[in-house]
Amino acid sequence: MSTISETDVKTRMRALDLIKENFKRLLDELDKSGKLHLVFPKRTLSNTIYDQKSKILLLGPDIQYRSFTDINEAKKFTQTILMASIIYKALRNNEYPTIRDLFYRGKHTISYTSIDGKKVSENSWDDQRESDSVIRDLEVFLNILREDLLILSKEKGKVVGNLIIKSGDDTIDLSKMGHGAYAIEPTPDLIDFIDVDAEYVLVVEKDAVFQQLHRYGFWKKNKVVLVTSAGQPDRATRRFVRRLSEEFKLPVYILCDSDPYGFYIYSVFKAGSITLSYESERLATPTAKFIGVTLTDIFGTEIFKEILRDPQIKNTLEEIAKDVLKLKSKEPYLSIEERRNFVIKAKLRDIERAVELVGYRVAEACIGSPEYRSKIKRKEGVSGYPWFLTPEWIRELCIFFYTTSKLEIEAITGKGLRFLADIYIPRKIENEDWID
Amino acid sequence: MGAVLMSAISEEKYMSISPAEFFYKYREVAGFANPVKAFYQVVKELIDNALDATDMHGILPDVKISIEKADEVQEYYKITVEDNGIGIPPDVVPYAFGKVLFSSKYVMKQSRGMYGLGVKMVVLYAQMTTGRPVEVITSRENYRMIYYFKLRIDINKNEPVIIERGAWRKTRDWHGTVVSVTIEGDWGRAKQRILEYLSRTSIITPYANITLITPENEIIHYSRVTNAMPKPPRESKPHPRGIDLEMFKTLINNNGNGEEPVEEFLTSNFQSIGPSTARAILNLAKIDPYKKLHELTESEIQRLFNIIKSYDKYKPPSATSLSPLGREVLEAGLKRIFEPEFLYAVTRSPRSYEGNPFIVEAAISYGGNTPMSPQEQPIILRYANRVPLIYDESTDVVTQVVKEDVNWESYMISFPAPLAIVVHICSTKIPFKGVGKESIADIPEIRREVKLAIMEVTRELKRYLVKKVKEKEVMRRVEILAKYIPEVARSLAIILGDNSSKNRIEAALTRKLIEYVSRRSNVSVEIVNSIVKSVKIGV
Ligand SMILES: Nc1ncnc2c1ncn2[C@@H]1O[C@H](COP(=O)(O)OP(=O)(O)OP(=O)(O)O)[C@@H](O)[C@H]1O
Ligand SMILES: [Mg+2]
Repeated sequence: MSTISETDVKTRMRALDLIKENFKRLLDELDKSGKLHLVFPKRTLSNTIYDQKSKILLLGPDIQYRSFTDINEAKKFTQTILMASIIYKALRNNEYPTIRDLFYRGKHTISYTSIDGKKVSENSWDDQRESDSVIRDLEVFLNILREDLLILSKEKGKVVGNLIIKSGDDTIDLSKMGHGAYAIEPTPDLIDFIDVDAEYVLVVEKDAVFQQLHRYGFWKKNKVVLVTSAGQPDRATRRFVRRLSEEFKLPVYILCDSDPYGFYIYSVFKAGSITLSYESERLATPTAKFIGVTLTDIFGTEIFKEILRDPQIKNTLEEIAKDVLKLKSKEPYLSIEERRNFVIKAKLRDIERAVELVGYRVAEACIGSPEYRSKIKRKEGVSGYPWFLTPEWIRELCIFFYTTSKLEIEAITGKGLRFLADIYIPRKIENEDWID
Repeated sequence: MGAVLMSAISEEKYMSISPAEFFYKYREVAGFANPVKAFYQVVKELIDNALDATDMHGILPDVKISIEKADEVQEYYKITVEDNGIGIPPDVVPYAFGKVLFSSKYVMKQSRGMYGLGVKMVVLYAQMTTGRPVEVITSRENYRMIYYFKLRIDINKNEPVIIERGAWRKTRDWHGTVVSVTIEGDWGRAKQRILEYLSRTSIITPYANITLITPENEIIHYSRVTNAMPKPPRESKPHPRGIDLEMFKTLINNNGNGEEPVEEFLTSNFQSIGPSTARAILNLAKIDPYKKLHELTESEIQRLFNIIKSYDKYKPPSATSLSPLGREVLEAGLKRIFEPEFLYAVTRSPRSYEGNPFIVEAAISYGGNTPMSPQEQPIILRYANRVPLIYDESTDVVTQVVKEDVNWESYMISFPAPLAIVVHICSTKIPFKGVGKESIADIPEIRREVKLAIMEVTRELKRYLVKKVKEKEVMRRVEILAKYIPEVARSLAIILGDNSSKNRIEAALTRKLIEYVSRRSNVSVEIVNSIVKSVKIGV
């Protein structure tokens, strides 16, 4: 009996055929039409569409022609084909390279003597961003995901809960991981879910908070599948969460820092990312909800009413999202004293990131600090991501700009782990106090 | 008080001096300001005369110059210039060399000389510094004798003094002139300028053999690189626009017995006046065409002159009295000295100013051995009637055009650049700023032509530069593609082949891609292949 799982063998054969087929077609086209180019959907911000109906980011209709004779594209063309050959070789040799491996395998010098006799030399690629980018191009060109090309990535995501799965040839009970957790494998589509007993999925951004909740027995007590992405979520974690949501209809709640980075992590889970929009359909969880921490959890909604007393701010915000005045009001979870202790001042980088989310106009209207106001001037014209231009998010970010405050989730545990596990999360879910 | 005044007023002394005395005293106006400049001027005057005696008469010049130390102690130098020109009749020799303002070049015809002064200044300078006389040996083509003279100038009388003369039979078929003078001068400091003058002369007379033997016995030789020589100029009658009242009266008074009818006088003494133009003019002046010259009253002459000057329908002056070099000769001269990467010359059509015909020629030399220019402008090589102008560059009209009228950047030229511009102006009357004949005055008509000529050659250079840039760009593009061919072929061969077919597929693909790139870029398969072959893929 082979030591390699049967699923892997099948995946491998399929991938080899697919690559060979596509590149054979490339050469046939050269013979037929005299053109040597790769044709695939354009992977750029301008060709990324937010689909209002399915609430996910999708690739638009633009097609890219990467031609060998276009001097601006020749190098990328070469890199793409080089990468294909490296992946092809790895598949044939029964290997499981990571994207970093692929970077190193393809990195070499190309030198030549120019017509006027000069020796010129360059690298096939200089840093991993370049090779990663052509891997993504290959995914859309071949219309296959890298996991199915048996390319692995570092495992970051972890999970515990009442969940039994089959991975490879083994069955694993995720409620029996001790103080540890199951590391979500890079190929989550090769996992079989055997049994699930849970009310909802809670994804926490921070690994440390995950561990605290885990040890506190939070998931046992509340029947939760507890997941952490440990920062920016990787593809496997997102796919894993998506499968739980889709296959068991479990609600998914996301718990992040109260800052623009936390908000964006949530949006990646929910709608997809701009660089990987071609995979949103498989990776995004459109039903995911942002449970916290919101700025209204910190400050309540009174402050927003105060802000709106300025008619100019009111008008601007209403123009962008007209229901912004009709939002429900609520009390803060933190006292004034606690706020003073836990809240920290937002940095310029946070402010700029927030401008990217909701656009320059909201920032300009709401921002309190004159220092930051002048500094974000150069972001003028940025109009924000459509999925953040909702009344709820505009309120959040308006308070953020106004107070220039942010809060790390660890701070809430400073108020007591018990507060987080027994009061904050359950109450928020019970009151449906989330942003959708 | 009256007495004091009286004694302050001294007697004025009135006297007249001869032209020889005048130029002897004020030699700096003729370019003999100091021992260095004077040395240069001596060589230049003699060579200019030698060349005038040859190429202006259709003879390919052979000019030999020798400069030798003529005294053990003193800085005396004997300068001898020999040419194969037309020679000088023996009865003329004393005046040509011994009477200031005696010349064969006072006619309406382009030549290097124009004042009848050059060689006399040389003789005067020799007289003044070493006291030694000039020696002349000369013979014309059909003469059976060779004539020899040794003479000096009587400065007060402006007359030649013959010290020695002789004649002997020609034993071989020789014509030409040999002139020797001995001067005191500063060879050490004059040398560079004289060499510069020779090299500049060789550019404009590539059809000449010029040899110089220096006091150090160095031989500097410019040998003839082309037999093409411009057609010699023909003497022409004055154009009515160029005449002044005095000249006009002289022409009338010197016209035989004055029996000639005024109409005939006009048609036979001026260019651009035919019978109908003459009638028109006389009509306007209300003078009977058949009136005889000597019957014209003073006021009629004045009136006729005024009408002639204001009449505006003349044909422009004829250019047969000019002898431009032409493209071929100009280019040959520059090619020899600079071996430029790009070379272009142009001869403009004749134009005129104040009734004097002139032609501007320009040439441009770029790259190759063309020296680097100064910071803000190209190297300017100025010529007037084939004489190189070396001094007073900054006040010359050509320099002004180069600096003020041409926008070099718009021609893709930024300085310093290996760029030289030659401008040659030929005319029956070059408007020099002084007797030194070094810089040309800013005459609007001339300035305009100089500008157009420079722009014309520069435009041609720009065209060349643009083409070069384009070709370079094509090559750059080809390189960008060609260098990736091996990588692409190798990678595709890995995917499409197996162990046994891989190499074959790679070779076939390489060939195919080379052809593909060659086809798309219009660059030959060989060139693409040469880059592909040089590619090394490291690990
Ligand atoms: N080498 C020569 N061969 C033939 N004729 C000569 C030669 N040198 C001088 N002459 C004659 O002598 C004349 C006087 O020469 P000179 O150099 O004094 O004046 P120029 O050449 O006429 O004018 P410029 O003062 O401008 O030089 C010339 O016009 C020419 O007729
Ligand atoms: Mg002369």
